[in-house]
Amino acid sequence: MSGKLNRRDFLKALGLGGTATLAGCDMPTTVTLEEGKEDVVSYLLPEEYVIPGVGVTYASTCTQCNAGCGVHGRVREGRVLKVEGHPDSPINAGKTCQMGQALVQAHYNPDRIKSPMVREGGSLVPATWEKAQALLDEKLGSKANLAAGRVAWLTGTVSGHQRALITNHLESVGSNHHFAVEVVNTNVWSAVSRDMLDDPQPQISLDKAKLILSFGADFMGTWQSPVHFAGQFSRMRTAADRGALIQVESKMSMTGGSADLWVAIRPGTEGILALGLANYLIANGVSSASLPGDARDKLAAYDMQKVSNATGVSTATIERIGKALKNRAPSVVLAGAAVEGQVNGYEAVSAIMLLNVMLGNIGQTILPSGKFPLQQLEAKVGGTRDLAAFAQAAAQKQFDVVLVHGANPVFTAPASLKLDEALASVPFKVVMTQFPDETAMMADLVLPVSSTLEDWGTHVAAYQAGASNISIQQPLMEPLYDQTRGFGDIVISMLAMRNAAQYGSFKDYYGYLRNVFANLKGAGATASLSPDEFWNNSLQAGMIKIDSTPRKHTVKASIAAIDAPAADANFPLTLIPSARMGLFDGRHANLPWLQESPDQIAKVVWGSWAEIHPSTASKMGITHGDVIRIESEAGGIEARAYLTNTVHADAIAVPLGQGHTEYGRYAKGRGVNPLKIVKAAVDAKTGELALFATRVKVSKTNKNEIILRLGHSDTQHGRRLVRTVSVDALKRTKGA
Amino acid sequence: MVQWIRTRMFRKYAHGAFHPVSLGVALILAWSMMTSTGFAADVQPPGGVHKGVDVEQPIEFPHNIHVEVNKINCMYCHTYARRSKVAGIPPTSKCMGCHKIIATDKPRIQKLTEYWQKGESPKWKKVHDVPDFVHFTHERHLKKFVFDRDYPVEDVKEVCAFCHGQIKEMTVAKKVKPLNMGWCAGCHEKNGGPGDCWKCHK
Ligand code: SF4
Repeated sequence: MSGKLNRRDFLKALGLGGTATLAGCDMPTTVTLEEGKEDVVSYLLPEEYVIPGVGVTYASTCTQCNAGCGVHGRVREGRVLKVEGHPDSPINAGKTCQMGQALVQAHYNPDRIKSPMVREGGSLVPATWEKAQALLDEKLGSKANLAAGRVAWLTGTVSGHQRALITNHLESVGSNHHFAVEVVNTNVWSAVSRDMLDDPQPQISLDKAKLILSFGADFMGTWQSPVHFAGQFSRMRTAADRGALIQVESKMSMTGGSADLWVAIRPGTEGILALGLANYLIANGVSSASLPGDARDKLAAYDMQKVSNATGVSTATIERIGKALKNRAPSVVLAGAAVEGQVNGYEAVSAIMLLNVMLGNIGQTILPSGKFPLQQLEAKVGGTRDLAAFAQAAAQKQFDVVLVHGANPVFTAPASLKLDEALASVPFKVVMTQFPDETAMMADLVLPVSSTLEDWGTHVAAYQAGASNISIQQPLMEPLYDQTRGFGDIVISMLAMRNAAQYGSFKDYYGYLRNVFANLKGAGATASLSPDEFWNNSLQAGMIKIDSTPRKHTVKASIAAIDAPAADANFPLTLIPSARMGLFDGRHANLPWLQESPDQIAKVVWGSWAEIHPSTASKMGITHGDVIRIESEAGGIEARAYLTNTVHADAIAVPLGQGHTEYGRYAKGRGVNPLKIVKAAVDAKTGELALFATRVKVSKTNKNEIILRLGHSDTQHGRRLVRTVSVDALKRTKGA
Repeated sequence: MVQWIRTRMFRKYAHGAFHPVSLGVALILAWSMMTSTGFAADVQPPGGVHKGVDVEQPIEFPHNIHVEVNKINCMYCHTYARRSKVAGIPPTSKCMGCHKIIATDKPRIQKLTEYWQKGESPKWKKVHDVPDFVHFTHERHLKKFVFDRDYPVEDVKEVCAFCHGQIKEMTVAKKVKPLNMGWCAGCHEKNGGPGDCWKCHK
């Protein structure tokens, strides 16, 4: 790892690195004020609704995460300049997050792959589409000799007609292996909700809550539908009867930074605290009628002192949280990635959901979702179970062909899964991607796909905020490069190879979608419209409302004992591979805007660091900026120590996102990837990887490096740059 | 008067007692007062000279013939100027609208026709430009100096000349005004244009 950034790199990062960068952005080769140097080309024929210099707005869908926010793109002179939230979207109501803002940077990224690449003599070389198509035809076409079940798709979370086409393609090649991988997910929460409420994606209504108790759910950063929840949260906060947020976690998240009370908890003990709170509530008069008969006895084991010892949360704080829960109804209690990512993650999330049941939140702040009627379009939700399952199946040589899209498993898989070796053993690997990522570099055939802003798509978010919708993604401009293809176009062409009768007539994905939309059932108010009107209206709105039947919540509460993670003298600390809005799971590390926007808590930019509590650091003689070695049973990484009391003393947090060995100029060779040293333990009930349960030890190296950080200091050195006033003083002067 | 208001307000703001929003509101007020009380009639065109280079264009377009001889209004061809930040180079179809018939024997028109028949527009060379971080808008300037003053639209070329010089005397355009920040700001001072950074540097 290199924490050093020389001036040249710095300028490059800013996009001032000379003509190479500019040319890559497809800008004119000369950008100058000098007279007579730059070309200016008029329209041949004026477009009726186009005024040069005045933007035209089109609706589409953001794909930077899986929340499915609607966006408006401003297009000027045929180029998209800016993306903002779609004001009518029930998901994001006109807002986007910073990742959404950076959608244009993924589109104009200079590291996009600009032509197909074929592996020849061990290395990838540029090829024509004719050659790529011929290769696909040879391996997957009608004459290919494919035994049943020998083809696999490996994607991220995928929904809408892209998902339907993948399913159809698998069918056409006699297989059903679709692995969806996603490191940032809420699958354990979903499993618990399904089992306890009969609803895998219950609707959360934070704005109706008077208290949010969040066990590490970063609902404004990475949890389910961040922009949607940020909107709800701000309504809760600004209501006359203002609600409060208590965040309990081992490493402060962006959401934790907004909390009224932030509580540091020993890693992996959140479930114990939840059971302790349940016990406290029963002892203090909250009815246990909704709980199983043996609940009282089972919960009695979690008395205040025992819970305090296990969790490291003081009894006074436990009591304070308990009182708040009791007095501020309705509340809502949430569980995030660090709770889910334990070997008993399911039990811990169950204990947290139990609080919602006891407190009567079901039906108040946790509401039934609508059952989406078009099952084939529903999101295939990615998780880490599929990451492990794919690695295992591929290692057992179960596949002849693997098709990858929307996922970079070689980067996200913990080294202990040996996914890279398993993938290497697959005879033919096709990767459809915009960027030269780690997985693409292992492919036998790389197909460059269009950017989100150049392509068609339909999306059904797993978390359907508000109402059931299909979000529509439409091209906002012509493709920048003529050798890229839409993802749907590629799959349609592969389907046509196998099933010409059904798919041969579609020229492209657009043609397919037009046909599908003409026959779409269950979409609101379609009856009176002609297919063309319906299509145009859908594009204009950026979404179609789908009539869905609401589920009914039937509560089946259960209580399981939860043990604290065993202490391990050899590996005293717990590794927290924390995701944050911005670089997310590493997919946005190639976007300089997100690299340079500081971590919301640590304020660090452009690199990796390890957050360690000052008391832990001082025991080991570690000071700020020391390069430390963090080792688990599965491997080691080195990062600069960042001393902070926003992390529990028993934890060490290394943010996700960096450590790319490929992925273009902005990402490659920068920082470390904590996922690599995660031990491949799983949550027993769901099979999801226990990403937050890896024990590590820390040692010093003899290096110390600068941590690039906004502000660089937590104090104002007496200069009173930001003035503050106490709440009491403010109240006294209000209206005076 | 504007000068006075502005310096006073800046002074107050520098002491930390004046809020930037109210400053903006005051400036807008000052602006509207001026435009409604006939200040706009008192226009002082910017001075300044720039020794521009002669730019070779794909076709030596004679502005002089179009403007001086044929009395065609600037905004007939640069039709976007009153509606957009850019004035726009006329679409080739507009040129051909006349030159299908007019002057078809001239080599320049024959060259133009060749472009048209190939389905291409000439690659003109840009002469007047400001940096990307400057949001200049033709629309606002025409509004202030022409439409809000009830200035005769047929004389718009005199207003265009503020920044572009006497195009009516040129064939292809040549940069004859500095178009730099000091020059812009000077004209804004004289004519009561906005002085806030963010008006141009958004
Ligand atoms: S939350 Fe996700 S979908 Fe919404 S704007 Fe942000 S990145 Fe895009």
